[in-house]
Amino acid sequence: MPFLELDVLNAPGRPTLGIDLGTTYSLVALWRAGRPLVLRPKGRRDGRIPSAVHFPASGPALVGWPARERTTTDPGRTIFSIKRFMGRGLADARADLDAVPFRARESATGVIQFEAGGRAWTPQELSALILQEVWRTACEALGEEAPRRAVITVPAYFDEAQRAATRDAARLAELEIARIVNEPTAASLAYGLEQKREGIVAVYDFGGGTFDVSILSIEGGVFRVLSTAGDTHLGGDDLDRALVELALAEAQPGAELATDAAFLQGLRLAAEHCKIELSSREESELHISAPEKRLSWRRSVRREEFETLLRPYLQRTLDCCARALHDAKLSPEKIGEVVLVGGSTRIPAVRAAVERFFGRKPHCELNPDEVVALGAAVQGHVLGGGTRELLLLDVTPLSLGLETMGGAVSKLVQRNAPIPCQATETFTTYADNQTGIDFHVVQGERELAKDCRTLGRFKLRGIPPLPAGMARVGVRFALDADGLLAVTAREESTGVQATIEVQPKNGLTDFEVERMLKESYAHAREDFDQSRLANLRIEIGTMLRALEKSLPGARAELDRETLRDIEEAITRARAAERTSDVKAVQALRDELERAALPLAAVLMDSVAKAALQGKKLSEV
Amino acid sequence: MSLALACPECGSELATPLLCERCGTLLDPATPPTPFAVLGLEPTYALDLGAATKRVLALSRALHPDFHANAGDELRRRAQDNTAALNAAFQVLADDARRADWLVRDLGGPAEDQERAMPPAYLEEVLEWNEAIEEARGSAAADSPARARLAPLNERLEQERTKTLRRIAALLTPLPPRGSPALRSARQELNAVRYLDRALRELGELRLATRV
Repeated sequence: MPFLELDVLNAPGRPTLGIDLGTTYSLVALWRAGRPLVLRPKGRRDGRIPSAVHFPASGPALVGWPARERTTTDPGRTIFSIKRFMGRGLADARADLDAVPFRARESATGVIQFEAGGRAWTPQELSALILQEVWRTACEALGEEAPRRAVITVPAYFDEAQRAATRDAARLAELEIARIVNEPTAASLAYGLEQKREGIVAVYDFGGGTFDVSILSIEGGVFRVLSTAGDTHLGGDDLDRALVELALAEAQPGAELATDAAFLQGLRLAAEHCKIELSSREESELHISAPEKRLSWRRSVRREEFETLLRPYLQRTLDCCARALHDAKLSPEKIGEVVLVGGSTRIPAVRAAVERFFGRKPHCELNPDEVVALGAAVQGHVLGGGTRELLLLDVTPLSLGLETMGGAVSKLVQRNAPIPCQATETFTTYADNQTGIDFHVVQGERELAKDCRTLGRFKLRGIPPLPAGMARVGVRFALDADGLLAVTAREESTGVQATIEVQPKNGLTDFEVERMLKESYAHAREDFDQSRLANLRIEIGTMLRALEKSLPGARAELDRETLRDIEEAITRARAAERTSDVKAVQALRDELERAALPLAAVLMDSVAKAALQGKKLSEV
Repeated sequence: MSLALACPECGSELATPLLCERCGTLLDPATPPTPFAVLGLEPTYALDLGAATKRVLALSRALHPDFHANAGDELRRRAQDNTAALNAAFQVLADDARRADWLVRDLGGPAEDQERAMPPAYLEEVLEWNEAIEEARGSAAADSPARARLAPLNERLEQERTKTLRRIAALLTPLPPRGSPALRSARQELNAVRYLDRALRELGELRLATRV
């Protein structure tokens, strides 16, 4: 059996998921049969999973599509854009907090906590809920237990604290991180694999909440990042917000509504809809209503008008492109190909601006929503031992350094240095008989420590008493392939060593992660059943509504037996609200779907019939 | 410089202290190797960047942690450390100013906190350049004459940087002996490069700000 032998030779070592944990949507992909594939539950065309969590008035949180569906009926209980809060403190996130319908406070280590569903949630825990939903989706698509090992992508411009928060979210979701990969780099892998081209490539990644641009050289299967630049606070969300502000300024809903989270959430969705429509039409309508306040306001928005709102954001992305080119020591005409990634690159004005800037038509053959997850799956294949044909060489986006006397920064690792990477610098004492030195680790490009982001502080003790300037303390920074930092310090004459895991200022301690994990074990089974139950009830509700609408018109076309079958299934399914046995509710749902199949067939008109053959009612 | 080191596993001669390219063993160098030694090069200012880049990519293919992700802890650590050493070495070698800085230190020349001066010829011009940048920063209007002068100033500084690096190359080729006064001169020129880089960075930011 030559085929079997070949299969053994090519056996990928350890299957590893590729997960794009996005601001608005997340996706999961896996290397299968020689290529990366987005994992979608059977019958679903859209592989996206909304990065949203809904806290119903009672019961456990809903994640993904059920959360998104609830936002129209119950907008005041859903949290979006959790990624914007990862590794951030209250002070960093003021503007974004306005869009969250829950009260926020800050833990002792500067981690944001939202009060929802009767407890406090950190962004790490909320992201873990999303990752669990992503993993469940993978299981459902594969029809078996999915790998627990994953490559997870982050914006290239994510700093240390944001990366550490992502790592902790994965731990809380009980996923093993094989590697944290930068989103534009992952995209380039998927692109390079597809196009099999070599040369210099620019990846322009304008997503839901973040912007990145990376310049890469692809040569003999080696994908080498030359430079990256970006803004972790610039994305499609901002464009929605610009429309929201336009509506608020013109509609004048009054102070009470303008600060009402539920109202704002609804308005945000309307703005998003308007924005998306303007990519394919010249004009769209922005509509807001609050019947209880007798407010109903609508206005048409022309594409031109939206492009004026868009301009300052677009300019910021182009500034980043200029910076990345400068750091790569390249001019725009040296760029061989431009690849577009992220939903915001569907906007025609964005495409036109990118084309003008680089002087060439950007590639958009690959689905901009899926390309990052696909690339992550490719990297998962490499890390699983599946191939040595491809190699990714990435860089760190921001300089790393230590505060020196006088508040200046001594940079140990320059931005755009390839990772993994290490650097050592020697410091000395400034007073006689000084036995300790405090270190302040910072990240950023500014000259003064106070203008950079604090990653952490540590103290080296036990330096032997010596005259000022005699002790020699070597501080070593080691940046691993995930872009995470470890710092060690050592007094050279005595060998006194202090190893410090830099505790990110806005991060969880190991102890906190452990505690959260224990708590979630205790609740896991119960939570899982509860959320499964809630999802099933939502599905049944959707099917029942569809049946109510379509059954009367189709009665004549159905035989008596089928009709009785459907009606009985409906009656039984209506009782689903009263039982809390997951298995029983699942059976009711399946029964309803089966009974309604003949109806689905009848409903297809003659034109659609061929195309929809075999689809279930829940998908029509 | 011949390393004259042999692989402890297979005995073949090593071209880098990080790896035996014959048998694929990842080595554990006892003392941190110099950037030049990592690529098996003699320390010189002149460098064939294309060849060095190719060499780094070839070594990365053998060393990179991605290809040892399923190995034991010790091997994974070595893959990480040795790739980090390779990357750190290339960072120094690939940049003309950093390579010169490393050579000046290695030959016992003054560090930048021991010799802070720039070459005397610069002094007057530095004052003039600082003034131009200061003036441009003060005038917010994009069409002000001060801002319009930024582009030519940028070009002027770039040219100056190229010329300064050429002087550094001359001072370090061939490498001067330890204690040579040429090392002090090279440090002064390097201080000028540092000034120029900072000024150019600032100009870059100002020019970005005017484009909107």
